[in-house]
Amino acid sequence: MDFELEWTPEQDAFRKEVRAWIEQNVPDIPDHPDPADLTREEYELQREFGRRLGVKGWLYPTMPAEYGGGGLSMELAMALEEELDRYNMPLPPYYDTGGKLGGVAILVWGTEEQKAHFLPMILRGEIRTWQLLTEPESGSDLASVRTTAIRDGDEYVVNGTKIFVGSSHGAEYSWMIAVTDPDAPRHENLGWLMMPMDLPGITVEQMDLLFVGGERGAASGIKNTVYFDNVRVPAFNLVGGEGNGWKVAGTHLEIEHGLLRSAVRDDPLTERVFDYARSAKRGGRPLLEDQDVRDRLVDFYIDAEVTRLLHFRNYAWRGQGRQLTYEGAQAYLYQKRGQLSKARAVLDVMGPQALVEAPDEWAVAGGHVEVHQRGAIVDQHPGGTAEIQRVIIARRLGIGREVREEPGRLR
Amino acid sequence: MDLLLNEQQRMLQSTIQDLLRRDFTKETLVAIDAGDVDGSHGWPALASTGLLGSLVPEEHGGAGGSFSDAGVVFEELGRGPVPGPHFSSGVFATLALRECGNDEQQAAHLPRIVTGDEVFAVAVTEPEYGWERGDVQLVAERTSGGYTLSGVKLHVPDAVHATHLLVAARTAGENVGLFIVSADAPGVACRTLRGLSTGLGEVRLDGVTVGDEALLGGGPDAWDAFERAMLQATAVLSAYQVGGLESVFQMCLEYSRTRRQFQQPIGRFQRVQDHIIDIVNHLDAARWTTYEVLWKLDTGRPAESGVHMAAALASEGYYLACNAAHDVHAGVGIVREYGLTLHTRMSRTLYHHLGSPRYHRRRVADALGLQPGLS
Repeated sequence: MDFELEWTPEQDAFRKEVRAWIEQNVPDIPDHPDPADLTREEYELQREFGRRLGVKGWLYPTMPAEYGGGGLSMELAMALEEELDRYNMPLPPYYDTGGKLGGVAILVWGTEEQKAHFLPMILRGEIRTWQLLTEPESGSDLASVRTTAIRDGDEYVVNGTKIFVGSSHGAEYSWMIAVTDPDAPRHENLGWLMMPMDLPGITVEQMDLLFVGGERGAASGIKNTVYFDNVRVPAFNLVGGEGNGWKVAGTHLEIEHGLLRSAVRDDPLTERVFDYARSAKRGGRPLLEDQDVRDRLVDFYIDAEVTRLLHFRNYAWRGQGRQLTYEGAQAYLYQKRGQLSKARAVLDVMGPQALVEAPDEWAVAGGHVEVHQRGAIVDQHPGGTAEIQRVIIARRLGIGREVREEPGRLR
Repeated sequence: MDLLLNEQQRMLQSTIQDLLRRDFTKETLVAIDAGDVDGSHGWPALASTGLLGSLVPEEHGGAGGSFSDAGVVFEELGRGPVPGPHFSSGVFATLALRECGNDEQQAAHLPRIVTGDEVFAVAVTEPEYGWERGDVQLVAERTSGGYTLSGVKLHVPDAVHATHLLVAARTAGENVGLFIVSADAPGVACRTLRGLSTGLGEVRLDGVTVGDEALLGGGPDAWDAFERAMLQATAVLSAYQVGGLESVFQMCLEYSRTRRQFQQPIGRFQRVQDHIIDIVNHLDAARWTTYEVLWKLDTGRPAESGVHMAAALASEGYYLACNAAHDVHAGVGIVREYGLTLHTRMSRTLYHHLGSPRYHRRRVADALGLQPGLS
């Protein structure tokens, strides 16, 4: 049982190639604790970097090469991510839900024509996509969405409202679920659509939220409300067939429920908090003389280690093509709850200074600590609440039921 | 990065599963727990498979296996949980002999541990309980050609089944040595403590005399080397607790499907589900930290913080999982023949063995350099 890759000479050669290429191409962008502080110019540099990665097939390295992905093994993709991580650059380097979520749904459920049409532009980074799922009346009970997409000739006519959508700088496409047959039973009444965002009748309005995450990788991002008023979209854009939208959504929801995190990134906040604790004083005495402080620090360190290992297990097993059941939701639950308990531990140890935002002189660790205090709260809800993760775990383990719930299809 | 058992480990696992199905059924384990079957039951069968020699080098008749191999064996034993001196003898004493013993001592005892002809218990802790050097107060007085040991060792696992004791004692000043003491030597008296713990005993040493050859390694202080052995043994003990957690989880899952109240399986209630989800989370936290640190030990990576982390999670996880399992089972859970209380008792018994969860967490902090004055 190896917990680390042993690199072959071929893989090392690939890493060298990647390293040289990144050195030539990566934009130089300062560290912004709050991604919302990224300027438009900096954003465009990251966007352009993504396009160049896309040309190499490195934007979504494990997706099939025939559709514009890299066709790379998990090992090579990890090497790529590690090299990018040296520059604090996630993959993709800007907000896009296309290649890891929606694109996988198209790969699994789309016709050959749809795959050939949509996937290359997603995987090469020519377009960015938003995911449109949550509605004002449909949160945890996602299948109860009310937005309609009613067939009219060669088009669907879409009406309704989606919330908690996207990011700061727009997207060329969105993908969404909507009711195609209002008379059909629950779970059989939905369609899954690729929606060009430049169609007439679409209005985007920014929401006022506690945390504005901005455009760094898959960070929560600025969130918007999207209104659809008689938007006419070609029937070709419905993926998976009418009435199958819930099954199609099962694919990307499966990934979102705990299979998104890469195996590469550790949580950099831990070291920042440790550094603070090693140098800070209270009542003129070193903070670390307080046994309670040491206990609080090690407790959240251990939580973070467990989260890391559960994600690592999922990443490795998914890379081998093993069918995961409850494991994704379990890692996601640990991650969400771990962030909250860490936030409290940090607040205990640092006091109210943890709540001061950069660039104020009193902000800790350049503002990373305050961003985490906000982020820990906000991260409880995307991709299903902690309670929803528990529901998924229970169904997948078969607690109280002989037949276990099937995971969403990933291939 | 496969995170799977290798072929050899799968064979090992299946060998021991067969043995447990044959010699350690739930009925047998309950009977041992009730005192109706002797605690040494199945010991010869276990020894005859060579499983106790997992960590003994091949030159001494063992399998020369890795820590991960031993983890496979002890995870399966923990599922029972199979009580008895397999851990004390096949892991703890074996590793102490490996780390602290000289060639003669290893050659004299390791082969006989593998065959089960000798059974070792490790007597470290005392009434002022603890697992650090300073907690060893029992004195070994120097005599001509040997030592005389007097005092009490407390909460020693499996002492009554042992042929030999490995006794930690002060040789001079702060120095702590480890002595091989025959369990039937004059002045040695072992008894099992009654109560919720299982298999823990008192060892009284009353003027017990041993020769120089009984002192592991021959030098006045073996504690630093013994700490390495404790660290390694702790990782294998965590694997045993992972096995216990796995069993508790499976019992609860099964019960959630078959037990009906309010005209439906109790597992349909989210309050019941939450208990079982907590158990599987404790299980996987303990499992993956344990597996990772066994791998670190096998590959010579720094493992100190990892061992203490896994031990903390395994000990507190096993304890809390049993509590949750009693919530799921209510009255049925405390009926001895149902089998859950085997785990409940074991989770309490092992809670402090080789250090409590809080102790281990603090050692993680030490290993991470979270100490004043270290920056």
